[in-house]
Amino acid sequence: MRLLRRVCIIRMLLATLSVASGQDVRVSSADTTVRIQQPLVRGGYFDKPFITRPFGRTAIGGYLEAIARFERTEGVTEAVSFEARRFNVFTHSVLAEQLRVAAELEFEHGTEEIKLEFAFLDFEIHPALNFRGGILLSPIGKFNLAHDSPLNNLTERPLVSTQIIPTALSEAGMGFYGAFYPSIGSRVTYEIYLVNGLHDGVVTNAEGTRLAEGRGLFEGDNNPLPSVVGRIAYSPSVALEVGASLHTGPYNRYKVDAFEIDERRMLTMAALDWEYRHDDIELLGEYVIAGIDVPPALHGVYADRQRGIYAQLNYHLGRGWISLLPRSKFTLVGRYDIADFDARLQGDATQRVSVGLNFRPVEDTVFKLDYNYHWHWNRVNVVERSVGINLSVASYF
Amino acid sequence: MLQRSYPLLFVIFLFVAGFVSCDTFLTKEPELGETFDQPLHGLTRAQQLAFARGDEAFGKVFSIREGLGPIFNQASCESCHSGDGKGHPRTNLIRFGRNVGGAFDPLYDEGGPQLQERSIPGLVPETIPAHANAISIRSGPVVFGLGLLEAIPDSVILRHADPTDRNNDGISGRPNMVMPPDWLDVPRRPHVGRFGRKASVAFLLQQVVNAYHQDMGITSEFLPTENPHPQYGTLGDDVPDPEISRATIEDVVAYLRLLAPPKRGPITPQVERGERVFTQIGCATCHVPSMKTGKHPTIVALSEVEVPLYSDLLLHDMGPQLADAVVEGEASGSEWRTTPLWGLRLLADHLGGTPFYLHDGRTSDLREVIQFHGGEAAQTRLRFFALSKEDQEALLAFLLSL
Repeated sequence: MRLLRRVCIIRMLLATLSVASGQDVRVSSADTTVRIQQPLVRGGYFDKPFITRPFGRTAIGGYLEAIARFERTEGVTEAVSFEARRFNVFTHSVLAEQLRVAAELEFEHGTEEIKLEFAFLDFEIHPALNFRGGILLSPIGKFNLAHDSPLNNLTERPLVSTQIIPTALSEAGMGFYGAFYPSIGSRVTYEIYLVNGLHDGVVTNAEGTRLAEGRGLFEGDNNPLPSVVGRIAYSPSVALEVGASLHTGPYNRYKVDAFEIDERRMLTMAALDWEYRHDDIELLGEYVIAGIDVPPALHGVYADRQRGIYAQLNYHLGRGWISLLPRSKFTLVGRYDIADFDARLQGDATQRVSVGLNFRPVEDTVFKLDYNYHWHWNRVNVVERSVGINLSVASYF
Repeated sequence: MLQRSYPLLFVIFLFVAGFVSCDTFLTKEPELGETFDQPLHGLTRAQQLAFARGDEAFGKVFSIREGLGPIFNQASCESCHSGDGKGHPRTNLIRFGRNVGGAFDPLYDEGGPQLQERSIPGLVPETIPAHANAISIRSGPVVFGLGLLEAIPDSVILRHADPTDRNNDGISGRPNMVMPPDWLDVPRRPHVGRFGRKASVAFLLQQVVNAYHQDMGITSEFLPTENPHPQYGTLGDDVPDPEISRATIEDVVAYLRLLAPPKRGPITPQVERGERVFTQIGCATCHVPSMKTGKHPTIVALSEVEVPLYSDLLLHDMGPQLADAVVEGEASGSEWRTTPLWGLRLLADHLGGTPFYLHDGRTSDLREVIQFHGGEAAQTRLRFFALSKEDQEALLAFLLSL
């Protein structure tokens, strides 16, 4: 009976496949073996493992974010606009107990920007030693590793984690990660990878030194040496985690074939992050400092030292206030942000204070209402003030 | 359920109502005439559109990928004219040459007369030749009101000229008569220069094209070849020339032409007294309070209006302390165009709190500025320091009301 049921299931599946693939399938029930004719192209579209072994090993999910924004700069309303900011799709496949493939395909600002944020293969050798290779999120600062909009309690990401560390910073590379448990309740995690690093765009763009403009080396490195990026985090208890991370390596194209065309110029980012949770209160933040070896001929226009910090307080309240949504809660949020684009100069910096109130009908969905006041100093230290009020929604699916 | 939510709804209401109703939380618009980046009154919609386009182009920061360089000083117009005001000493540029007994060689073959101290990666910037003995540090001047200056007829400026000092007042202002470059579509005759520290440029279009080319290394239809490097000849970057369109140049010219000067500050009794003293001791001989524009063919806002510039736009010998030995056109190494004083009260606001006066930003003290006045202005300087303390204070208060 059990055997018969299995044969029936296999017949149904293969029949489905045959319709899908247009190939001839023959099933013999006499000895319960199944023989399939050769695929049209071995390894071709209809010979992919996710079709030929269709037993649900891949999970698909994602998140979306939409925003209504009011902006005013120096008393002049700049915009009242709506933005379809993100629609990101995650896939996660378990290939074997120790093998996983994960990816995130990102559609930003409608479809203006489409990119593969990460796509990597993980191989677990031991819980303390896992291999990871592919396009990976660089472990520089906690925020770069966990920045999904439904997780954030404010609409805008921290300045330091976008303007100094260019979240999302993903790079092609390989390396290892793992976790140790020094005592009951405590944990040390690490990630360390060799990656292509950033490129000359850091100092060839129009805005001055901007690390975000050096992203995008997925097809190969622009110089002979890789960069190294790593983070180590210590968590003495579930309530607290402190992390330190470093990203360093050459960023410029200094060699063409055998010819040296420039000096090797290093770019280093160092970050410290923290996260503390106690009952309904969360304290989190990040401090980053970046050193960029800028060609002397560009000094005065491009900065060689940048830094920034953010500190955020979340206070959750009103759990179950709405009886129809027993898992709902409200969160009051406050954040202070500063990004100093040229640490050697008085000016060329941006600072922001944000406050917000958000509502989560369920944990994975959030409606946010927030206000931010923004100061921006130009290179001669003249300040421009602007404000933004955001109403946004973000949800995992 | 809803009853329990009332406090929260109330908080949300306060949150929204508080911010929407309050300038403090939503930033306040600057008053008319309190910044350097406002347009003239009475522009047509087409002129306003040109102004807006030019504003954007003026603020554009060029990247190396967009044609910046190969040698350059700064990456945008605004770098040297912060908020359309004066340049910060950090963005000063250097003019150089060789002056032997008054004969000036701008050292064209060695990178003169302007030093481009920056270059794109892989190239080396210019350096000042060892035998250059005339080195002049310059801050970018304010750029508002340039359309008004341009609209003042030559004849009106020449009315104030007295090159041989016929009236024996010690002041002998003379125009810098400059020939337009070949590429400029204007009559081929000398024109009264009025732009630049030594009034060596007569037309706004010429000033803008030169600034793109010399300061940023951006080529245009008017000057389509990159600025040559003294050691390496004419170098290119990776961007085909011309790097900006004629339309962009024209937008920026329109923007500068339509920028309004700021309004006067409060006129108190002390300011009125200072204005009288200003005239009595002779400051107004060169810092002419106003001149009138001619009839403008297309822009009503520039047509037949009084221009409160506080300058005669003429060259004056300012003595050894200000002399830089650099000759520009007919301007000698010690001559400078009378700097318009309008907007003096707001200079500091556009430079992070410090006004950085004079052509190189060497001082932020108005008394020191007056102290530096020599040459034709020496007698006036002496008269200022002979004034009572009250009169001196009144004169300074007047200057800071402009």
